[in-house]
Amino acid sequence: MRFRTLTAEAWRSLAANASTTVAATMTVLIAMFILGLSIGLGTWALSWSNHVKKELVVHVYFCVTATCANDATKAEENAVGNMLGSIPEVKSVNFVSKAKAFRIMQKHSPELTKGLPSNPLPDSFEITPKHGEDVELIANKIGHPAGVEKINYGKRTAKAILRVARVIEIVFLLAVIILLAASTLLISNTIRLSIFSRRREIEVMKLVGATNWFVRGPFMLEGLICGLAGSVLAVVLLMLGKEIALPAILGRISESSDAHALAFLWTSLILLGFGIVLGAAGSGVTIRRFLRV
Amino acid sequence: MIVFDGVTKVYEPDVSALDGVSFVIDKGEFVFVVGASGSGKSTLVRLLLKELEPTRGKIIVGGRDLARLKRSKVPMLRRNIGCVFQDFKLLPNRTAGENIAYALTVQGESRNSIRRKVPEVLSLVGLADKMSSFPDQLSGGEQQRVSIARSVVNHPPLLVCDEPTGNLDPDTSVGIMQLLYRINRSGTTILMVTHDREMVDKMRRRVIALEDGRLARDERRGGYESE
Repeated sequence: MRFRTLTAEAWRSLAANASTTVAATMTVLIAMFILGLSIGLGTWALSWSNHVKKELVVHVYFCVTATCANDATKAEENAVGNMLGSIPEVKSVNFVSKAKAFRIMQKHSPELTKGLPSNPLPDSFEITPKHGEDVELIANKIGHPAGVEKINYGKRTAKAILRVARVIEIVFLLAVIILLAASTLLISNTIRLSIFSRRREIEVMKLVGATNWFVRGPFMLEGLICGLAGSVLAVVLLMLGKEIALPAILGRISESSDAHALAFLWTSLILLGFGIVLGAAGSGVTIRRFLRV
Repeated sequence: MIVFDGVTKVYEPDVSALDGVSFVIDKGEFVFVVGASGSGKSTLVRLLLKELEPTRGKIIVGGRDLARLKRSKVPMLRRNIGCVFQDFKLLPNRTAGENIAYALTVQGESRNSIRRKVPEVLSLVGLADKMSSFPDQLSGGEQQRVSIARSVVNHPPLLVCDEPTGNLDPDTSVGIMQLLYRINRSGTTILMVTHDREMVDKMRRRVIALEDGRLARDERRGGYESE
């Protein structure tokens, strides 16, 4: 079939079935808008939970006179440092000398450090794991080598944070899967209705000798156009929401955080692609049943 | 042109629509197929168009065995068989001219040849002035003429009519029959399923009568009922 015939046929039936065209476009619009919202919210939540996980670190505190009767030796500290380097889950190790720890404390809570006769703080290692989930594992692997007073990874907080993060991930995944399924069903149902209302037309086309592709081509192009129009409108609506509604709701809160939603461009591309593919493929597949004349 | 050889069609589960029907129709013949409702006439037409497959037996149309015809070749078969139906089967959102043009577009005819052929065939059926009327603006007889024009615009060697006058009043029917007669005279084989007793008796053409799916009668110059 020539391209001009294809587009002419598709355009003709789009115009002739205006109400169906509008209904199909609106269905795609609604489905893609909600899907876009959930992608935006979901990726933001994921990124927030990752951000929180990044704050999870393991501290290894060395002995000082006040806690274990005598200070940890340099050799003991080096031994622990070497061991940390050999643990695969460890991303980076940062040595915090007692002097440095004191400076940090002075900065954060000067009233506590005032009037102290000497520096009571120990040397320590601050260990950043590759994955936040591994803090407990790393702490267990270190065990209790000589010269170490205690290992701290905020057991309770860490567990709470990890639990919340997991819940967020699961909820987001479920939401996206359910929405994908729901919008596929919704759109395919609209397509089925529109094709069903024109099954007599398809029958006549087949009886005058149209090949399956001659009938199917324009329908698929129609589906593609409706899908494209619906998802473009959804992207426009989402963009308006992002530019106008979001700043009004959030104010400046989100600026300081390093949690970000998936780039808007990517969300838009996903929606456009999904809308187009669903429209065209949906029509192409659905029409098969009606072509058996 | 058409060979039916012991054709049997059984619908699921076991409703027998045609039972061992055999006949041969030569090129250029005008054949009536008559019989009561449920005698298998429509099944016969649908088998010819390969809308259905026979349960047993062999059907040859234009020298081609339909059983061996691939599904992808069915459109080619249909382009060589003009079809006229009781309910016209026109596309409602296209004008008379566009309906005819569609049948040509389907075959990949050029726009120039379509622009030439459509008015030609419309004036053949006497509707030269209805080119841009939509089906619902035409009378039943006019719609049937458009449908006939669409079916013959490709000059198919065979024209199959399923009760073409079933929905029309007697006067209009006569006009349609005259048109079909003219088309037959130009060499097109016509197979016409009908209930129109008067028409069959007047035309005195070959009559194939079906009764409960069996071939009851096949007469060269028959009437609607056996004499």
